[in-house]
Amino acid sequence: MLGSRIGNWFKGASLPGGLICVGLICNVAGATGALDKPLDAKDRDGGPSQAKKDPVAANQDWWSIRALAAPPAPKFSDWARHWARTPIDAFVAQRLDAVHLRPSPEADRATLIRRLYFDLLGLPPSPEEVRAFLQDKDPQSYEKLVDRLLASPRYGEHWARHWLDVVHYGDSHGYDKDQPRPNAWPYRDYVIRAFNQDKPYAQFVQEQLAGDVLHPDSADAIEATGFIAAGPWDLIGHAEVPETKIDGQIARHLDRDDMVTTAIGTFTSMTVQCAQCHYHKFDPISQEDYYSLQSVFAAVDRADRPYDDDPAIARQRRNLGDQRHRLEREIKRLDEQIHDQAGPELARLETQIEQLKSAQAGAQRPEFGYHSAIEPNDSVAKWVQADLGQPVSISQIVLIPSYDDFNQIGAGFGFPVRFKIEISDDPEFHAAVQSVADKTRADFPNPKAIPQIFSADGKQARYVRVTATKLAPRSNDYIFSLGELSVLDGRGTNAALHAKVTALDSIENPPRWARENLVDGYYYAANGSGTNAQELKLLEEKRQNLLDKPAVMALQNDLTNLQASLHGIEKEAAKLPKPKYVYAGAVHYGSGSFMGTGAKGGEPRVIRVLNRGDVRKPGQVMGPGALSWVTALPARFDLPKDAPEGERRLALAQWITDRRNPLAWRSIVNRVWQYHFGRGIVDTPNDFGKMGQTPTHPELLDWLAAHFRDGDQSLKSLHRLIVTSAVYRQVSTIRPEAAAIDGDNRYLWRMNRHRLEAEELRDSVLAVSGVLDLTMYGPGFQDFVIEKPENSPHYRYDLYDPEEAGSHRRSIYRFIIRSQPQPFLTALDCADPSMLVPKRDETLTPLQALALLNDNFMLAMPKHFATRLEQAGGGLESELGLGIELALGRPARAGERKDLTAYAQQFGLANACRVILNLNEFVFVD
Amino acid sequence: MSNFSPFHRSRERLSPLSRRQFLWRSGGGLGGIALAWMLGKETAWAEAGRPGILTGALHYPAKAKRVVQLFMAGAASHIDLFDYKPALIKHQGEPADFGEHVEAFQDGLGPWMPPAWEFRPYGRCGKHLSEVVADLGSVVDDIAFVHNMVGKTGVHSTATYLQATGFAVPGFPGMGCWVSYGLGTLNENLPAFVVLPDQRGYASNGPKNWDSAFLPAEHQGTVIFPGMPNPIADLFPGKTDYLTPKSETAALDLLERLNQEHAKSREGDARLEARIRSYELAARMQLSAPEALDLSKEPRSILKMYGLDHGKTSFDKEINPVEETDYFGRKCLTARRLLERGVRFVQIWSGNDNSFPRRNWDSHEDVHRDHGPLAMGMARGASALIQDLKQRGMLEDTIILWTTEFGRMPSSQGSKGRDHNPYCFTNWLCGGGVRGGVSYGPSDEWGYKPADRDNPTEVYDIHATILHLLGINHEKLTFPHNGVNRRLTDVHGHVIRDLLA
Repeated sequence: MLGSRIGNWFKGASLPGGLICVGLICNVAGATGALDKPLDAKDRDGGPSQAKKDPVAANQDWWSIRALAAPPAPKFSDWARHWARTPIDAFVAQRLDAVHLRPSPEADRATLIRRLYFDLLGLPPSPEEVRAFLQDKDPQSYEKLVDRLLASPRYGEHWARHWLDVVHYGDSHGYDKDQPRPNAWPYRDYVIRAFNQDKPYAQFVQEQLAGDVLHPDSADAIEATGFIAAGPWDLIGHAEVPETKIDGQIARHLDRDDMVTTAIGTFTSMTVQCAQCHYHKFDPISQEDYYSLQSVFAAVDRADRPYDDDPAIARQRRNLGDQRHRLEREIKRLDEQIHDQAGPELARLETQIEQLKSAQAGAQRPEFGYHSAIEPNDSVAKWVQADLGQPVSISQIVLIPSYDDFNQIGAGFGFPVRFKIEISDDPEFHAAVQSVADKTRADFPNPKAIPQIFSADGKQARYVRVTATKLAPRSNDYIFSLGELSVLDGRGTNAALHAKVTALDSIENPPRWARENLVDGYYYAANGSGTNAQELKLLEEKRQNLLDKPAVMALQNDLTNLQASLHGIEKEAAKLPKPKYVYAGAVHYGSGSFMGTGAKGGEPRVIRVLNRGDVRKPGQVMGPGALSWVTALPARFDLPKDAPEGERRLALAQWITDRRNPLAWRSIVNRVWQYHFGRGIVDTPNDFGKMGQTPTHPELLDWLAAHFRDGDQSLKSLHRLIVTSAVYRQVSTIRPEAAAIDGDNRYLWRMNRHRLEAEELRDSVLAVSGVLDLTMYGPGFQDFVIEKPENSPHYRYDLYDPEEAGSHRRSIYRFIIRSQPQPFLTALDCADPSMLVPKRDETLTPLQALALLNDNFMLAMPKHFATRLEQAGGGLESELGLGIELALGRPARAGERKDLTAYAQQFGLANACRVILNLNEFVFVD
Repeated sequence: MSNFSPFHRSRERLSPLSRRQFLWRSGGGLGGIALAWMLGKETAWAEAGRPGILTGALHYPAKAKRVVQLFMAGAASHIDLFDYKPALIKHQGEPADFGEHVEAFQDGLGPWMPPAWEFRPYGRCGKHLSEVVADLGSVVDDIAFVHNMVGKTGVHSTATYLQATGFAVPGFPGMGCWVSYGLGTLNENLPAFVVLPDQRGYASNGPKNWDSAFLPAEHQGTVIFPGMPNPIADLFPGKTDYLTPKSETAALDLLERLNQEHAKSREGDARLEARIRSYELAARMQLSAPEALDLSKEPRSILKMYGLDHGKTSFDKEINPVEETDYFGRKCLTARRLLERGVRFVQIWSGNDNSFPRRNWDSHEDVHRDHGPLAMGMARGASALIQDLKQRGMLEDTIILWTTEFGRMPSSQGSKGRDHNPYCFTNWLCGGGVRGGVSYGPSDEWGYKPADRDNPTEVYDIHATILHLLGINHEKLTFPHNGVNRRLTDVHGHVIRDLLA
């Protein structure tokens, strides 16, 4: 199988073809970096640049835009015929010939197996695996090893990490008050599975943009849309500032900008974000292109999206949803008929009723109510009380539940499970306490949004106290919360409005939570109860009179029937098992400031070209579309006006993966190449435009991209092809005479030595120390302690205990905080989830040395390492020999073993293990 | 209720000392080991420093070499501190009429509210200052105020990003990173860019405000918590049962020997040598940092100047000036010591995340309550820093920038608070070639917007001016990233000539 695949490629390689390396020279010149050509501010400010005169047509001959076809592999020169193993080698050999370079010899087998392990799995080989490979006489042993590694679940874990860098995945929102994102991980797991299953690339792309449209009942496909929401999100700009305000508009504009930048950067390696304020200065990308891409995402927000593992239940839920929507449409139609019949008076009345209701409705307000401190169990009694200022004769006390989407709780948030209401003239409630309601003996059903009215029969008192005796569950903790407390006197006036509120404790987090919010007159109201109830009742009676007209009544009967059916469907939906959630790009059904488009049935927001990117200067309306530079495809998506929003995302996914669009294929094979060699064929993996680098091996790039596109789009096949090549198997040793010609090794006359990435290093330390926990999937482990979670969580990495159970999993399963990056991994250049990281830095700083020497994790692991060696036994020298084998993937040399043994004899094995984990040879892969 | 101050915590835990604390207190016990280790080596590193991209190639003759940025997190009120508005006193209590529709962040459009404190003139320039910042009166002739600053949003996070990095979104390097990248460090034993956060917690965006983003990691701000048990993370090992000073010396020896052996068979790869050297630099930092952070040798007169002579070992539960002076003064004095030892850029934060009870400048509820103690502490520390640098001849080549994410409204919120005002706020600069005693770019009579709305000052202009004083053309300090030659000032920025001495 393996042999035949390579054989086929070789057939292509034997075709004749001549190459001129013009691009190569340009590229070397460009490699000095763009520092030479700083932007002139005037040029950037001064409106559209040179690209304006039919820029798209004028720039069709750019390498990344040119139609993609596999060039014939070049002929081999004599030496190359003996050296080459794959068509890749033919392309590389030709370049080497052109600059009079020869490749380096093949590395020894110990080097090769360590290189392959880190490259494909991100982990070191075990001594047994190394020994077996060194002794394997099978001529296909290398290829078989590659196949074994590609079949390992560790492969998906490692390569998913690369992908998550590119899409800037994180488990918290970032920005101010950086809150955790507990449902982000299903997307991370999707990526791991996709790599392990070797999902065809077009499918992988399409699912991430529109999996919910393609396979609405597949959990896998829904989880894939976590891609759209992977980046940071401005909680304050969304949750506290409504879309009607300028700051709210800016926040939402920037949010869509991140979606567009990520999607286009990730899949096409284009810098479309540069066209946000003006025509792209270097590439033929217009503002219209940019805003048509914003239009693709105009209906979605970042939100927890429900889904089901079981496709049958998913289908059921979806069917019920469809029926509900159909009924709702019917109801709307009937309603319109009724209005026609009843005349304009009905509409007027309804407007009044609506106004009255919304005046009461806390749903429009950010002031949620009162919120107690958080407790680890529900048995702590908590009270909150209002001071009416003077004794009042009380007719009714009304408790109105809070509403908070936290943990999908919604209405009834924090409403006590057991409680009592008491009144007294003693603020301490020691004396003259009268009971109004006592619900402490049995659990009280959660009232959701419905106000709970308790009669006080005219009892008189100045203070009203509500005591929760059994708290309400929140996530893994318990609280007491109320949206509003009303105390009605004999005339129905609310005597508690703006009363002084005290409580046993309170989370003061305005505007949402504050003691005074308990009596501010604002609360979430699903129905029209409250202070204006009387007037409301009157208006509703008037409306009823209109509806009682005979012509209307028949329609009204139909309407009642439909509403009954709707109710039935809602009841049935409530019976389904609880859905799971993934944080994804989805239509958001919210309330308050962060409404989303759910209330409008997911109708996309109107997107306009913004003059200079300023939300206060909107221009023409843009429908969905993509880049005009790709002329092989229509740049504007021809969708019906009322097409569901998902069609827009699907259209973009299809545009990206259309075989006539050359960008996606060049982009992905270049990324894969970069992770194998440390440098892409194009060294700017996210910029295939004019400011980016040009390919060092353009024909090789096209050959790989075209074969990838036209084959089975298998990433595993691509890896196999690359790592079995002769160019990949070279030693990494530097030859001075070659370095004099090509010091940066752009032509690949040797393999590049690579410093372990942050996660590779951490995982290797765990593996070598014998404590690596290979549990896959699920919520991430947290290597920090959260303090003050209710407001701006403090993520205290310094309080993490490196022995904590569950935290020795692979780093891909780490819970990634945006605002406070993990210090140890950051010192090792791990990706910053606040920005797109197509390529990591590789720095060597004193702070990195200090982290490797002194971080608590790095102090804890040598002890495990030592224990492991002691268990193997055989005396210090043999134990340290094993230690070297474990960490460096080769047998120990006599000298170093002697040195380490002498050191260990004096200071103990753990100290020697700490030295091993700090060795250059441990952190570099040849 | 326990006090969250780290100083208190350190006092509580004085006995028994943890090993790490001992190392810090003994001026770096392991540093001593590092010293012993390095003395035995033949290579002696000169305290030369690491060059920046512009070293030897500055665009202009530099007036300044160093920068201190004082950042008031939560948005400090210009009209209660530096921007005197008699109209607010005259019209206090009258409905606020802005002459146009105003979009408040919350609901702070109540009646005009007078400044929370009296203003008096100071210095030869006669600048009016609020009584809570009276300590700055003695140095006001060295200060240039900019009263027509405008921002882009009234959201803390994006506004803080804008002032700290020049961009309103995450993913861009802090100003100190750019200075480190351009100028390098004067002394490799310490980082080029040091951040002294509020000890109670980070401001909006946390460490993202000083992240190196796409610049190489060495330019990232190094966080130091002066006065904390462990001021620099991982500088010394925490508690173990196997490390001893001797094991440490021998470990560094052995590590170097094995690394040299490894490098010998891999000649030509500069990274292997660089990594060996990074362990030496780490050891040098272990030596230098505790000494740089040790305030115990400072004379009484200096401690007094910075307000560190209060003699208190614990503070009240409520926010109070003595405590705030201690926090801010300690950071200012530490900054001076770091600058003396070659650090390029020190960023000092006042105010934590915008949480409750307020220990930040986000005074929606009560300007008097929060701004009072914070401002008194800030003014004392900042004034001492300016005087101290001056008496050491360092003010002439050290720029001090006072900034915040936006201003506060001249109208009231509730009865005592003020809402966000991204339309107008104040910055001030001092030293390093800045013309003192001037007030540039007035705001309108309310302090609501710039007097000349068409010509406001933006963060880009402040950044351009500071880079100019450092000898850098802000349009020419660039770094290529994802298709754009990125600059601190994006595509904006003008040097404010009126501020140059």
